[in-house]
Amino acid sequence: MGDEVDKKPDTGAVEHINLKVVGQDHSEVFFKIKRSTQLKKLMEAYCDRQGKAVTSVRFLYDGERIQPTNTPNELEMEDGDSIDVMVEQVGGSL
Amino acid sequence: MSGICRSRLAEERKQWRKDHPFGFYARPEKKADGTLDLMNWQVGIPGKESTPWEGGVYKLVLIFPDDYPSKPPKCKFVPPLFHPNVYPSGTVCLSILNEEEGWKPAITIKQILLGIQDLLNDPNPESPAQSEAYVMFKKDKVSYEKRVRQQAKENAP
Repeated sequence: MGDEVDKKPDTGAVEHINLKVVGQDHSEVFFKIKRSTQLKKLMEAYCDRQGKAVTSVRFLYDGERIQPTNTPNELEMEDGDSIDVMVEQVGGSL
Repeated sequence: MSGICRSRLAEERKQWRKDHPFGFYARPEKKADGTLDLMNWQVGIPGKESTPWEGGVYKLVLIFPDDYPSKPPKCKFVPPLFHPNVYPSGTVCLSILNEEEGWKPAITIKQILLGIQDLLNDPNPESPAQSEAYVMFKKDKVSYEKRVRQQAKENAP
């Protein structure tokens, strides 16, 4: 075969998953992301599009907060899974 | 034996991952070896907006019997909830969860959780399960609501 250019095997579809981000107003935004990409990228893209600050919302997957450094692989996400976005809130400040 | 039970629960989980009501979660527990225990689920139910329950996400465990879906799961608040229709143990008393009353095998986990969410702000005083919340609900609505709001704060996610 010789020394050809290093190329990763074309795994195409399995590398990417589609995720649904659902807002408090039930709006749905779909993202396609690599399983190994940090979810920070998705969070920032979502907030950009919605005109929100990343610090003003939190992303929940299976009831747990997603950390920006988490990847779909780490969280064992599957194609078609959905993520909830909630407005950041602090209790007891009234 | 539990073939129907497991395949149904696996399907419930699959559907839930794709689509679930906002703010809820429902996931099978993990066993020590990392595999999923489909017979025991951890779930969270948010209080409805514009009710004293708003802001809290109330945690339960769902324990499925081997003959599910012929029989309903046991739904238990952990820790036990201050609510007229919740037993001191945390177990929810609700018609659709009673095999002699409203349970039907076609009821999905999503419907169960939405049913319990409805029950939060719409208790049935005809069938109390704990005296503390029941007595306060009957005698002193103001204190009852205050206590519910406090509980919502304690259960903020």
